[in-house]
Amino acid sequence: MNWMKAIVCMSGISCFMTACSLDNYEAPTSAIYGSFIDQETGELIEQDIVRGTQIEYQEGRFVANQYMVVKPDGTYRNNLLFNGVYKFTPVRGNFEPIDPVTVEITRDTKLDFQVIPFLRIKHVSIFKNGNKVKAIFRIQQTGFDNVLKVGLYAGADKAAGATVNQSAVEIPVGATVSEDQSFTIEMDIVNNPRLKKGFTYYFRVGAVIDAPEAKFNYAPAVELTL
Amino acid sequence: MATATSCNKLDLKPLDKLDGNAMFSDPQGVKLYMANLYYQLPIEDFNFMRGGFNDWIGENMVSAHFTDEAVHSNYLDFLTTGNFHWWEQGYKLIRDVNIFSDAIPQLRVSEDEKNKMRGESAFIKAYTYYALAKRYGGVSIIDSVQKYEGDVEVLKVPRSTEKETWDFVMTQCDIAIQHLPETWPGGERRATKWVAAALKTRAALHAASIAKFGDRAVLSGEAVSRKLVGIEKMYANDYYRQVIDAANLLMENGPFALYKPNPASPEEAAENYRKMFEDPSVAPEEAIFIKGFTKVDLGHNYDIYYNPAQTANGWPHPGRINPTLEFIDLFESYAQPGQSSPIRTSAAANDITDYSGFNPAKNYYRFDHPSDIFEGKDARLWGTVILPGTQWKNTEIVIQAGFIKPDGTPQIMEGNPYTHTDGKTYHVFGSSDRTQYSGFDSYGGNYTRTGFSFKKFLDQRIPVVYGYSKGLTDYIDFRYAEVLLNFAEAVVESGITDNNAVAKATAALNAIRKRAGHTQDIPLTVENVQRERRVELAFENKRFWDLMRRREYHTLFQNTIMHALLPVVDLRVTPAQYIFIRTEVPRGWRYTFDPRQYYRYIPGIGSNGLVQNPQY
Repeated sequence: MNWMKAIVCMSGISCFMTACSLDNYEAPTSAIYGSFIDQETGELIEQDIVRGTQIEYQEGRFVANQYMVVKPDGTYRNNLLFNGVYKFTPVRGNFEPIDPVTVEITRDTKLDFQVIPFLRIKHVSIFKNGNKVKAIFRIQQTGFDNVLKVGLYAGADKAAGATVNQSAVEIPVGATVSEDQSFTIEMDIVNNPRLKKGFTYYFRVGAVIDAPEAKFNYAPAVELTL
Repeated sequence: MATATSCNKLDLKPLDKLDGNAMFSDPQGVKLYMANLYYQLPIEDFNFMRGGFNDWIGENMVSAHFTDEAVHSNYLDFLTTGNFHWWEQGYKLIRDVNIFSDAIPQLRVSEDEKNKMRGESAFIKAYTYYALAKRYGGVSIIDSVQKYEGDVEVLKVPRSTEKETWDFVMTQCDIAIQHLPETWPGGERRATKWVAAALKTRAALHAASIAKFGDRAVLSGEAVSRKLVGIEKMYANDYYRQVIDAANLLMENGPFALYKPNPASPEEAAENYRKMFEDPSVAPEEAIFIKGFTKVDLGHNYDIYYNPAQTANGWPHPGRINPTLEFIDLFESYAQPGQSSPIRTSAAANDITDYSGFNPAKNYYRFDHPSDIFEGKDARLWGTVILPGTQWKNTEIVIQAGFIKPDGTPQIMEGNPYTHTDGKTYHVFGSSDRTQYSGFDSYGGNYTRTGFSFKKFLDQRIPVVYGYSKGLTDYIDFRYAEVLLNFAEAVVESGITDNNAVAKATAALNAIRKRAGHTQDIPLTVENVQRERRVELAFENKRFWDLMRRREYHTLFQNTIMHALLPVVDLRVTPAQYIFIRTEVPRGWRYTFDPRQYYRYIPGIGSNGLVQNPQY
């Protein structure tokens, strides 16, 4: 059925091209960018690469919501916006919900969000230890919800996390934690079909609270060659 | 509009249209109109694909491909937001059935006939709104034909809450149960009182599960705060109660039973089970509602797409459903009733979770024949899946991933043939001829990549007929075993015990197992009911909706890859024997389910003005 798909594809493209040549509306020229910043420590809030924090936004005259995704390092950017007044609401994030922000966008507009992450992953050390990669860390809670689980994630880039990884070890917690408590997670790297000896991987530790739509908080990834 | 206006003025009847009264006062007219409504009914039959219903040509990804039941031999696609919609067609059917139900009061037919019509139209409405509610949550309920009289705004009906929508489905089921006959003259395949009751068990179970398990995946947004999606937990048992009552009606008063409930052996049980799907007309005691396929070119494509490569009979795209190792592992073994019995390839403690590939140091169990490793597993495994080395259409189906050379070098899914010291040449996939094996070759996407090929519903008696829509196997939409399982689930999830419910549910669960050759009863637990359901109703488009309604999808598919079982010839021993390797699906992909997908997006909110579902 590939030829059918090709025809459907081509007819789609040709429609699109026709529409472009007829309308004379200017292409979008404005941009918005910024960061999600921990208001206490000033650090960027690390994210999942898929199903991470999103920014919901509406442009005045437009009925449907649109979404931007936040990059794994906690920054975001959209270079294809029309000039206008927009309402931005970060939603379903890994920090305490914040109020919508209304901004007029002209050319390059910077908009940072100061937030309180649900969890801060602290005192992280990730290192190779014999047949295993070992992660030791502590967790600082900002709220009262239970910590659902903690995890160590390995992947080919810094975005390794609960939703995208090559190898993962997760430990259920199901309780509130204090910063006195140290967590240790070990990942087998010898009998592991997804990790190859001699290759370089990024390892990231994360934790998530037990609350609806909460996302993981992470510490920055660490690069290790196995 | 133009026609209607001119009619009023000139008082002439149009010559190119039948008057509703004339059409529906004639039983033949009703039948004709009904045939069209039944055709549009969202029955999840052999032509139910990711793109929708009545898909005759081209597409071959069924709902099982998006669950842990199977992977596709060729595609890596996972569920997208565009899959499994049914919106415009749904509202078209609603308009068509409303034309019929609006006309009933004025018809010149007996009250008895009118009641049948009321029942049948209510059944179609129930089925239609059930299909909408499980996709979109609460929807606009339109119970009579809308007329355009100059103002489009009055035609825009806002969404009802999800609970109101399910309650509408329940009410329509009750009207259908009340008015429909128990049979139709001549055994016509039309909705009966029993079909309506069976539909009610299925729909109420969905609604109950949403209420009970909704908090496993909480969504937010306007649709949630207006209760357009989601049902409060306190209503769960109201719906479970409705499942139990509707199932009781069937179990106590209906004419149904399990097909061949007392097999003499597991082998017989496997054949009985298989034959029921090959030709549902052999099992009238179990089949409550059958959708027939009678006309070549208006049939279906299961036989062409899902036969193993060896029995493709010249069709170039076979082997598209590959049951996963997860699915095979699920089955019980007769020796250990009441628990899944995963395939063990060695005595190693971590055998079940070791997917690291061939390990020369590992003491694999060795087998003379590739199907020996499945001995003693539930008959339904043999009836549902073509296992390596078993017979299908008088052909031994060869599913082999490679061999281990005498020196211990593995040659798996690649490499040249090897000539052994005994003079025999071993080929990686079992033969040098691509028509002589069915596994693991990546050529054309025609070979299973899990180690298993598909069997259920395929017709063993006839060779594959080349071309689209030639398959004429009938499809059982509702069967008695599903009603029993719906009942058992409702009892065990709700804790309702009156009217001897627990004993009846336990008996129902074990009757189904006994039909599959089990001899020991197991207790009624959530886990036992779910396992039984997955095993008994496999590939009947149930698993997909079970993961949805029980809100298990996002937990099951979280960067998840399915697994395969590689049968490999071990030449380190003489004579050569088979070993098996548990591994990730070759050329596979990892999938994550986004919780927003528990609901489809509402199409066309820009013009219909409806509130969109969360996160779209």
